[in-house]
Amino acid sequence: MTFIRRENEPEYALLRDTTAQPVNRYGRPIELTDPRHDEPFRVNDEPTPAENPNRYKQHGFFFTADNCIACHACEAACSEKNDNPAHIAFRSVGFVEGGSYPSYQRINISMACNHCDNPVCLKGCPTRAYTKFAEYGAVLQDPDICFGCGYCTWVCPYNAPQLDPVKGQVSKCNMCVDRLEVGLKPACVAACLGNALDFGVIENIPENRVQAKTEIPGFPRTDITHPNIRFQQTRTLQRDMQRVDLTALKYHRDDKEGRYQPTVDPKFGFRREWNWKKLLGSHENAHIAFTLSVQTVMGAFVLMLGGSLTNGPMASFADSAAQLPTLGLMLLLMAFGLFKLNMHLGKPHRFYRGFYNLRLSPVSREIAGVSAFFAGLAGYSFFALFDNGLAAAVQGFFAVLALAGIAFGGYYMYKLYRIPARPFWDHPYTGMSFIGTGLTLGALLLTGLALAYGLLDTTLAKYLYGAAAAGLLLEGLGLVAHRISLKPASSEGAASFYEQTTRYGWPYWLRNGLLTAAFATALVLYLGGSDSPVGYGLLALLSLAGFIISRALFYVVVIPTTMPGAFFWKNRGFIEHAREVGLADMPQLGVAYERHHPFRLDELIATLRETTLQQKIDQFRRIFTG
Amino acid sequence: MLFGRSHKNPVKIADKGVVEWKYAVCGYCSTGCSIEVGLNAEGRPVTSRGVADADVNRGKLCLKGIFEHELFDSAGRGTVPLMRDHWHDEWATTDWDTALDRLHDEIRRIQGQYGRDSFAIISTGQMLTEEFYTLGKLTRGLIGTNNYDGNTTLCMASAVSGYKRSFGSDGPPGCYEDFEHTDCLIAWGSNLPEQHPIIYWRLKEAMEKRRFPLIVVDPRVTMLAQFADIHLPITPGTDVVLQNALMHVILAEGLEDRDYIEANTTGIDELRAEVAKYDPTTASRICGIDEDTIRLVARTFARAPAAMQIWTMGINQSTHGSDGVVGINNLSLITGNIGKPGGTSLSITGQCNAMGTREWSSCSGLPNYRLLENPEDRKEIAEFWGIDEEFFPKKRGLFQTDIYHAIEAGQIKGLWLIATNPMSSLPNSARVRKAMEKLEFCCVQDCYQDSESAQYAHVFLPAGTWAEKEGVMTNTERRINVVKPVTQPPGEAKPDLWIFNQVAKRFNSDGKVKFPETAPEIFLEMASISKGRLADISGMNHELLEEKRGVQWPYTEEQAKKGEEPPRGGKRLYTEPRTFRHPDGRARLIPLPFIDNNEVPDEKYPIWLNTGRLIEHWHGRTKTGKIGNNNKYSPIPFIEINPDLCAEMGIRRGDYVRLVSRRSDAIVMAQPTQRVPRNMVFLPFHFHDCANRLTLGLLDPHSRQPAYKQSAVRIEILEDQIEAARLSKEMRAF
Repeated sequence: MTFIRRENEPEYALLRDTTAQPVNRYGRPIELTDPRHDEPFRVNDEPTPAENPNRYKQHGFFFTADNCIACHACEAACSEKNDNPAHIAFRSVGFVEGGSYPSYQRINISMACNHCDNPVCLKGCPTRAYTKFAEYGAVLQDPDICFGCGYCTWVCPYNAPQLDPVKGQVSKCNMCVDRLEVGLKPACVAACLGNALDFGVIENIPENRVQAKTEIPGFPRTDITHPNIRFQQTRTLQRDMQRVDLTALKYHRDDKEGRYQPTVDPKFGFRREWNWKKLLGSHENAHIAFTLSVQTVMGAFVLMLGGSLTNGPMASFADSAAQLPTLGLMLLLMAFGLFKLNMHLGKPHRFYRGFYNLRLSPVSREIAGVSAFFAGLAGYSFFALFDNGLAAAVQGFFAVLALAGIAFGGYYMYKLYRIPARPFWDHPYTGMSFIGTGLTLGALLLTGLALAYGLLDTTLAKYLYGAAAAGLLLEGLGLVAHRISLKPASSEGAASFYEQTTRYGWPYWLRNGLLTAAFATALVLYLGGSDSPVGYGLLALLSLAGFIISRALFYVVVIPTTMPGAFFWKNRGFIEHAREVGLADMPQLGVAYERHHPFRLDELIATLRETTLQQKIDQFRRIFTG
Repeated sequence: MLFGRSHKNPVKIADKGVVEWKYAVCGYCSTGCSIEVGLNAEGRPVTSRGVADADVNRGKLCLKGIFEHELFDSAGRGTVPLMRDHWHDEWATTDWDTALDRLHDEIRRIQGQYGRDSFAIISTGQMLTEEFYTLGKLTRGLIGTNNYDGNTTLCMASAVSGYKRSFGSDGPPGCYEDFEHTDCLIAWGSNLPEQHPIIYWRLKEAMEKRRFPLIVVDPRVTMLAQFADIHLPITPGTDVVLQNALMHVILAEGLEDRDYIEANTTGIDELRAEVAKYDPTTASRICGIDEDTIRLVARTFARAPAAMQIWTMGINQSTHGSDGVVGINNLSLITGNIGKPGGTSLSITGQCNAMGTREWSSCSGLPNYRLLENPEDRKEIAEFWGIDEEFFPKKRGLFQTDIYHAIEAGQIKGLWLIATNPMSSLPNSARVRKAMEKLEFCCVQDCYQDSESAQYAHVFLPAGTWAEKEGVMTNTERRINVVKPVTQPPGEAKPDLWIFNQVAKRFNSDGKVKFPETAPEIFLEMASISKGRLADISGMNHELLEEKRGVQWPYTEEQAKKGEEPPRGGKRLYTEPRTFRHPDGRARLIPLPFIDNNEVPDEKYPIWLNTGRLIEHWHGRTKTGKIGNNNKYSPIPFIEINPDLCAEMGIRRGDYVRLVSRRSDAIVMAQPTQRVPRNMVFLPFHFHDCANRLTLGLLDPHSRQPAYKQSAVRIEILEDQIEAARLSKEMRAF
């Protein structure tokens, strides 16, 4: 059923744009053209009445920050209309505050999706669940396509897509396009009690308003996505506007630039803590397992192949009894990594959708590359069983496939973490660490097997320990560069660094110590061309521990550029607390536990049955055509 | 479609499948918003929306109203009558007849054994007016206890008392439309954006059209205080001093409206003599507002062509609550700001039907502002109800707060609690708990079985809530609006009206008192005894109320017969000269000496404890604590505490701390904010076993309303944060 408009809808709820600018402030036309203009716009599979004359113009929210009273009516109207449970909200109100009593100010910020010109969610989503419609410029997402990887929630600077840990899928603001079709503003706007929230054709300034800024304290920079939201904020604010949530950030006015910059707010002092449980017990463990194991195997494969070239240090290894167990172990590790990654999805049985957005998504490309590598490795291993010229040729083909997979998949594995909305990751360190991990752990994998089969001669030891040392050096240099760039930065990355050195201060230093010791050990073993199992054991232990802590820190301390939260609601600190002490047992608390989701074979089979061959072909075609 | 897509993904938007909308007035606060509840094909309530053509809310609702349809099947609802011999026994289910017979027998037993007034009845501001009227008739006309009150004593008693003292009757004289005409507004202890968001929106709409000075008196920097042109962060409990100082300036500078005073008031000389003692310099040292600001506010207010004042609990919940209301009225009267557009003294009421209980419940007297103290009123109602005039007491009995003290002192042995939860809502919970334990018999009638007071009950009667029932409510601007049944009460639960009528049958075996069965019939009976009174509703009936989306009283039979449509809004009281309700038609200007009897911070308890409301919660959270999309914004108790104090004490954001008062203690989470001064914490009162474990609640001498907002506490650090979290979670079931 389409939205039914009452005869007497109040004036404030009506869309009333009569004019529009030709282009927006980012230089893009506001009139959106679409080659499929004449296809009917259907909501819930019903054609909508084509009445809205501004249908093909980019629309957006207008927020008068001076006026918001944090009454939550917008959030409530949104959740009510979209039938959302307490733990999911397409729109949220957060606060920043500053000053001293009684000269105190709080700014409340209501934020949903900004239906950006450059929707990074759409580009990032591997399953093609997102569409930017020419109709209103709405960025809409279909939860029935989504497989719950949550990558859109990583890349969005505004925390618009909501990953539901219960349903294992993402959903988000739909701009109430059903209301727009009948000439009504979105439900949140119609519900606003502070006359703060408005909506219309972008760049149009509502009646009685004078500004259309894209900056207020707490709102992330706009160059990432070109968001379609405009603000009015005329009251002079305090120099420092603090977040009330537990994120160690405040917004400091830069008088030169005339805008507020995110700055570290050391809310919890400078005490170092261990916090092992939080560090190693996070839901991101699957990513730790996946990246470490895949990088290890990739590193090992490259080292093995590189070292097996004519007269290479691995030449004898390739012909030895060690080769098959090595390849077997590598396959096993790969399978483990891929399994962990897949089972971390909200809908693991929809794994095949990971390729769908090959045209735009680094995640799709990573998955494609890693799959190619896995296939290459498997083929390479299989043909290693045969000893004839043909098998060697086929094996050669698979080796090339695997290497292409490493290059392509490895690059996008790195690329997908270069997220501007996550400054802690958006640094070359990420790539250095990934390569470093591959070199070191890959080399140590091979060393272990070489030792076991008594193949570790001086040449091989020098080769492998050299690689391990190089990997550790790369990781170390990356860490130093990361630290230099982040510590003084005015960004969420600096807050991540603060968390890393306080809440996880001891593991941080332990990691630094472990990696330094590992590097020294590797250097000694390299110089000595050592075949000592004790030396190897020590290095393997130091490196593995160092890299696991390093990778765990990488995931746990990242602070996105999201909007500030409130004291309870949308406060990451309180959410963690509620899960730890069991408050989250109460469904009305609005905090759901993270959980794993079963692989629903029945659903997979049903999908296979229910889609026609033509649909399957179309789906496959669209991987390449969009 | 953009970004090279060749295929339109389907657009899916939740569709609740509404097939029918039913009309009601909201059952939360006193704003009186008109709601439509949407029912799906199975007849289940699935959505709520504001009624577009209702003058009060014009299509808007706050977050509580938006989710009000979720109340019907929320957790903790009572579905079957329960009984037990002693409160520490397990409950046993029973049938209605047995439960009601037990209630009847216990009332008569206790009255027979200890005297007529030894059984008390405490109701609420939550029910429908027809229910209040029926309960009043039952209590005053048949049961005959004089210890009968509503929980409105906890919220509006001071306003009632102040209105009566100044104007001769209760009844707020203004309306929401006054925002559109006023030239200056003072808000005393009223945080509209949080407490009455729709009224705030009406104010905001008015201010967007036409700016006027907004002056906010509040010790806490609320959102309204932030928006104020002048914010007066007053020392708690000293409003009367500020009022006297403002009047001092007005009278000293000749800014008063002499003609109005002359024509409409008495007592100006006594007032002048009293306020002479409160020059701004002296007053500033008591109330904490500097003398220049006092003068500026006084001049701004007095010079405005039309100036209005609103207030809520910041005034009412004080040992000078009634005086504070009188002070506001004094200010309005000496500047001629009563009964004119934009000039009023408007109490922003609390509960959805606090006004209905004030008008019709007979708690403080007899229906429609009639007084027990007045022989004609007693005679008129006794005749109308068909009872002996002498059966009525000749003055009103105890207020709710005093009833509890009488239980403590052993004078009251039995209690019928109706839709109220003193275990959470009365000050000094430990004292309330002791009193509840002492009762020989307690009956709790509530829509929620998990209302904490039920733990001391011997009988539990499961009632319907809000739009499971039919009847009317009166809002802050005296607008009567109607609730239609949207659905049935769950299980065997019954509308309160049905319960009262069944109880009445048991006390009315000879059938001499008539108890009509349906709300529309009762409404007509009420209308018939409202003729010619201040709250004349004789022109109204349920159909008209729904059609007009509520009608402000008075609206008389005469007007209706003449075909005079009730106005959409903008109806005021005391618009004609000398029409106040004192016998001489004049309002009283009453001098207000200030006596400081508050518990104030000292060395042992150095911090002010200020309590108040959050927008997402309603009273004791029996309703909103179960609705996730309300509750999640503040699911556990917390204090707002000054960050400088936190730094000094080593309290980190999100730490649990222990608050200790002279009564008891409470565990709360610390939320550092400069919204409160260094010597004050703000603690929302909604959470069971929390704020009211700490409050002293000294009583106002006139209204007997507790001073919830002025207590002293100290703060203690809790070393074991995990244990504190566990305790905080354990202390309430939702």
